Amino acid sequence: MTSPPDLGSLNARGRWPPPDGPRVAIVGSRRPSPYGEAVAEQLAADLARAGVIVVSGLALGCDAAAHRGALVGGGVTIAVMGTGVDIVYPAAHFRLAEEILAAGGALISQFPDGTSPRRHNFPARNVTMAALSDAVVVVEAVQGSGALITAEAALHLHKEVMAVPGSIFSPLSVGTHALIRDGAGLVQNARDVLAVLGVGREVLDDPLKAPKRLGFELPGERDGILIHLSDVLTVSAAELARKLHLPISEVLGRLTSLELDGAVRRHGAGYVRALRRAKERA
Amino acid sequence: MLATVDSCVLAGLEARRVEVQADSANGEPKFFLVGLAATSVKEARERVRSAIKNSGLAFPGKRLTVNLAPAEMRKTGTALDLAMAVAIALAETGGRVPERSAFLGELALDGAVRHVDGVLVAARCLKKLGYERLFVPAADAEEAALVAGLEVIPCGNVAEVVAHLRRGEQIAPQPFTDAAPESSTDVLEHDLAEIHGQEEARRAIEVAAAGGHHLLLSGPPGSGKTMLARCLPGILPPLELAEAFDVAQVRSLLGDLPPGRPIDWTRPFRAPHHGISMAGLIGGGSGYASPGEISRANHGVLFLDELAEFQANVLQALRQPLETGRVTITRSGGSVTYPALFTLVAATNPCPCGWLGDSVRTCRCTPAVVDAYQRRLSGPLLDRIDLQVGVRRVPLSQLASEPRGEASVVVRERVLAARARQLARQGCLNAQLRPSRLRNLAALEPGSRLTLERWSERKGLTARGFHRAWRVARTAADLEGSELIADRHVLEALGYRLHDVAA
Repeated sequence: MTSPPDLGSLNARGRWPPPDGPRVAIVGSRRPSPYGEAVAEQLAADLARAGVIVVSGLALGCDAAAHRGALVGGGVTIAVMGTGVDIVYPAAHFRLAEEILAAGGALISQFPDGTSPRRHNFPARNVTMAALSDAVVVVEAVQGSGALITAEAALHLHKEVMAVPGSIFSPLSVGTHALIRDGAGLVQNARDVLAVLGVGREVLDDPLKAPKRLGFELPGERDGILIHLSDVLTVSAAELARKLHLPISEVLGRLTSLELDGAVRRHGAGYVRALRRAKERA
Repeated sequence: MLATVDSCVLAGLEARRVEVQADSANGEPKFFLVGLAATSVKEARERVRSAIKNSGLAFPGKRLTVNLAPAEMRKTGTALDLAMAVAIALAETGGRVPERSAFLGELALDGAVRHVDGVLVAARCLKKLGYERLFVPAADAEEAALVAGLEVIPCGNVAEVVAHLRRGEQIAPQPFTDAAPESSTDVLEHDLAEIHGQEEARRAIEVAAAGGHHLLLSGPPGSGKTMLARCLPGILPPLELAEAFDVAQVRSLLGDLPPGRPIDWTRPFRAPHHGISMAGLIGGGSGYASPGEISRANHGVLFLDELAEFQANVLQALRQPLETGRVTITRSGGSVTYPALFTLVAATNPCPCGWLGDSVRTCRCTPAVVDAYQRRLSGPLLDRIDLQVGVRRVPLSQLASEPRGEASVVVRERVLAARARQLARQGCLNAQLRPSRLRNLAALEPGSRLTLERWSERKGLTARGFHRAWRVARTAADLEGSELIADRHVLEALGYRLHDVAA
């Protein structure tokens, strides 16, 4: 295990050191299931609302979802990068990085400016994430995932390690379920994390207490088709049409209509239920 | 003595008239061939000399000059052989060729007249140029006789032709090849009834057939993309006479008309391999470009399997033909334009290993690799493909339990009705509607316009994407027999797009 760098020597863009407050790292697969992506985003949003600073790695998948969620929740978020702070990797996250900075967050790195993405730099970055945070939440991780490096480092550094359970049929649950079996805290919602941190008691009474926010918010029923969709596995339009004995053209149309309302999402060649109404584009 | 015989050379789908003049004069026995002849034509000297001798005719033992006029036009090919031989024979003995007659054919050393490519094209053009009689190789006579109002004389060998011209020995003209449409009751090789499940892709194929829309199928290996694509010709109407003629002309140029059946009523289905070169797909070659696969697929289906494996520049070159329905190629000989009005069906894996999004096997590609792979397809080419559908793999164990769909003949009835509506309304298929005509001919209900606008606002549709959905909605309405485009048609149309791949 690489030891974490001196936190005082990190390069930063944006507000650094960050404002006071508990810091939680949300990490997970770069290629999550729709479920994992939604969990990361929702969890980050709820934590951010409770005043938690969300730390993640600006990578594809769960990392990006966590940063996005924190921004949706109106919070501060820190991206710990495996490149120099002047290089946004992947380049597709350029706008996300700008939004993080604009919202009072920071991009930080232990690597000098100009460091391009190198495979061996990312494990060290994962350790830094653990060192910066009070707790680490793993959302979805296959065996050997980089997110597990962060979890292991957190263990060594005596930080809290927590994990979100997933489907037992999904390879993406192997890493998280192993963590839970080995004693990591179970995360079903933001409250579980806040309880472990011992913070946010007063906040708990407010937005998070509303019964419908105990779990994840489900969209209101708009179309009977919705109950035949899953939020973990994709269902194709063809499967739905067969199940409901409806013409495929009608099913396609109704799915598209739900997609327009943000109630379902496309994933590959199928559809999944969106856990939360998608943020409307400005 | 001087003799003049007419023939022609081809420049794409056009024929250029060539006057073959032979003059035998006193002097040292020699054979000059002038008039900008390419190597294949210069070689005709040796063929013609042997053919005449071996036919029992006298080759002039004088100073012989053959001129190909107009002399500034470069001539290629072997179709001028027969005209040269006839001109030389007549120059020696005297005699005239009947008015408004032309000769086409390659010669063998024994005097036999051999097949040449493009006789149908030549016959059609020569008829237009005012010729009434055409002497062609016997093997090509049926093809030439497709052109109404042209007397076609089948030629077996040079001796026969010369005897006919000099002494009026009869050669029976080829009867007009009546291209009556055959009722196609053949059993389809690929029938939609054989496909289990895949309702979404089946529907997309139906819409593609009805509106002439281009189609992209994306899915893992073994999901049945190729099989689906091969079902498309079976639900299309047979070719119209004019269309069948267009198809036959391109095949004629390439020497690919099946003997005994010059007109084929089934729509072409071309499936070139992804290693194909630019010249092979688009057309090319030296002198005048010859037609490529896209022109062979004219009025039919061009199927590009493994779309992302095609060379990028080859795919880019598809853009002009996809837009205009024809292709213009310039080579050293000049520019030629070939028709290329086809329905593109493309198939692709979602990623290099093929398993991205599969429910059983996991994809082993890194996100960067997937991104690069999908980017090869994105942009201008995909923007021109109206229908984009994901195809899911059905595990073999479940295949038998998946319901079979309707047979191709049933689907075809709906397709035919929808196409008839479009042709009656606008004279072309929906896929060919330009935005300006779309506004006039494809009225949207107020609600459906709102849906389309909301979608483009939220999902950031390009103008092209907007019109694409509009056109497909028009076809969905036509399949239902509805003149007005309802909300459900627009929503269905918006469903035919790949979230990951498409813009």
